[in-house]
Amino acid sequence: MDGPPSDAVLLLRVAERDVGAFRALYERHAGWLALRLARRCNDGELVADAVQDTFVAVWQKPRSFRGDGDVAAWLWGIAIRRLVSRLRRRSDVEAVFGRSETVPAAEDEVLLSVEYGDLGAALARLSPEMRAVVQAVVLDGLTAREAAQVLDVPVSNVKTRLYRAKAQLRAALAEGMS
Amino acid sequence: MTASISLRGVGRRFGATHALTDVDLDLCPGVIGLLGPNGAGKTTLLRLLATALPPSQGDVRVLGRDVEVAAERTEIRRRLGYLPQEVGFPRGFTAFAFVDYIALLKEWNEPVARHAEVRRVLAQVGLSDLAAKRIRAMSGGQRRRLALAQALLGSPPVLILDEPTTGVDPEQRVTLRTVLAEIARTSVVVLSTHQTEDVAALCERVVVLDGGRVRYDGPVTELVGRAAGRVWLADRPDPAATVSWRTGTGRYRNVAAEARAGVEHVEPSLEDAYLLLRADRSGAGVVAR
Amino acid sequence: MTGWHVDDQMLRRYVERVDSVAEGASVEQHLLTCERCRSRVNSAAYAAVVDLGAVLDSTLAAVEVPRPSAFERLLRIAGLPPHEARMVAVASAFRGVWLVGVATVLAFAALAAKVGDAGGLWFFLGVAPIAPCLLVAFSYDRRWDPALEPELATPYPALRLVLLRTIAVLALALPVVLLLGLVVPGQTPLVWLLPAVGFVALVLAASTWVSPLNAAFTVSGAWLLVVGLVVRRTYSAGVVLEPRIQVAFLVLAVGSFCVFLARERHLSQLRPWR
Repeated sequence: MDGPPSDAVLLLRVAERDVGAFRALYERHAGWLALRLARRCNDGELVADAVQDTFVAVWQKPRSFRGDGDVAAWLWGIAIRRLVSRLRRRSDVEAVFGRSETVPAAEDEVLLSVEYGDLGAALARLSPEMRAVVQAVVLDGLTAREAAQVLDVPVSNVKTRLYRAKAQLRAALAEGMS
Repeated sequence: MTASISLRGVGRRFGATHALTDVDLDLCPGVIGLLGPNGAGKTTLLRLLATALPPSQGDVRVLGRDVEVAAERTEIRRRLGYLPQEVGFPRGFTAFAFVDYIALLKEWNEPVARHAEVRRVLAQVGLSDLAAKRIRAMSGGQRRRLALAQALLGSPPVLILDEPTTGVDPEQRVTLRTVLAEIARTSVVVLSTHQTEDVAALCERVVVLDGGRVRYDGPVTELVGRAAGRVWLADRPDPAATVSWRTGTGRYRNVAAEARAGVEHVEPSLEDAYLLLRADRSGAGVVAR
Repeated sequence: MTGWHVDDQMLRRYVERVDSVAEGASVEQHLLTCERCRSRVNSAAYAAVVDLGAVLDSTLAAVEVPRPSAFERLLRIAGLPPHEARMVAVASAFRGVWLVGVATVLAFAALAAKVGDAGGLWFFLGVAPIAPCLLVAFSYDRRWDPALEPELATPYPALRLVLLRTIAVLALALPVVLLLGLVVPGQTPLVWLLPAVGFVALVLAASTWVSPLNAAFTVSGAWLLVVGLVVRRTYSAGVVLEPRIQVAFLVLAVGSFCVFLARERHLSQLRPWR
């Protein structure tokens, strides 16, 4: 055997109850998962719990990975849902989808449009509520209902904002092209 | 130094069968090998040492305590690890759960410390990765190592192992030898085995049992020395040899009670010396394998 | 996969959360497919976010450490310290499957007694007193106990373990037998109690000589035989219910238990003939 085992192989071994493979999977993925989760939730303890929930779920149902796509994406799907589930139980903690720590300055905005084109600038110009919905549904892969739960708004709200956000982005792109 | 284990005039009977007769032994820290054919009484002796069986006569003292006094027996058991010849595993248990159960019986009441200890012994026998695996899904050698792990809980000063390396593959056997050698620095390890290589690799001292009696008790080197000059190679089995067998190279290894001259002598192994010792009693004759 | 990777600046901005939404989204999407960049992020993550080492420890604990069964939790509530609750509950006898099985058998027996004729009554009379002793034997017989010989060399008092398991069995089985006895027409429920207890004590005592299950099967077989013989001769349940017989069972229970206590050291040593 040449090279380190792939994530899919590790998962198969986890299905056979190999704790060593489980550890290896943890070492490969817990870090970036925690980081990404922490960007959606400020509470460190909650993030830690969500990471633990994720890996316990991986141990319990390793075969629910169908072999389609990256293991990393599959893990993220589990992780974000575990975070959402934990957030729902805590009314004192707020989700922070789509919020950046700083507001880009004028020259940075220029840079942004240079690097990411108009899409990047258009995204930044969306209202915080619309950005949160785009982040949750489009980028993180939540369903409208799950996004509604974590953002604490009605489902209809989510759908409307998503619709409007997409329209706005399309318009901004069309504008940029002309 | 006072012996950790001492036996005086120990005998054990099962109905009309005398499994052990007149056993006198003094065992100190280190690794002691117990050799002997099937039915020699090895398992019975080990059970006596592990307090799993009382003697029919004589005294057994472990760490200065008498095995026949209930309170002292409990004290011995607090300092004892035992690996029996056969271990039955419960259905549906994982490796971790099994060792955890034994740890409970060994009075590890506090869960955090107990779980850490369980992981420690599983790591010692190389089963860390299989901790969460169901025992029924494990191979024979893995189960044997698991059974050894429970004996290692608490790093006991007395370790009684009945055929610890049976069914274990050569690689793992080396690991186990390292583990046992490490433990033997401060503990008494008594292990029985059919493999003379294990004894040769591990033990400074060997006790040979036959028909329930001690036939040899002393350093391994001395036993091996008895076969010096009495082992040689030839192209044919030698009729004058006590034991003779065909080796992998196609030549025949011969062992005899008397030293012979004018033959191709080789370094004696423990196996040669052991065979000589056994043949001593059962009478001469060529035994070709 | 293109050759694009996250450069160090971008990585730093991502970890410190001073990147823009678009850049962050870009990095995150990339990480889903790029193992190399993930490992670079990981080394930053271990210092930055949560104590991932501690999380690993508790995750492994959740994965490796066996979870307490319902019965174990029940025992804890009843007042047993957690480690003893585990020791008792871990016996095969307390697996849901077996308890349900025993309860089912008893239920059928009671049903037969109620619906059927004297035959049904005798069936219940045969089965009800032996169910507890069979379950008790099952709870500590070496073949079904979690650990055969290694257990012999442990310091935990075997007597205590056997007694705890016996009490657990009785606490489960006796109410069931009594309740079902109520269903049986014409007899007082308590009539089954003394024979059941008597047999349990007898099996406990006998288990200091032979294996518990062997003792239980022998006792059960003998009882069923006796019941069968009495049925053929008298066609009446009256015999068992006479005070004389009840007292005899009481004496049996007390006497056997005394023998059991006197010989308890044999519980933790091998019996020469297994």
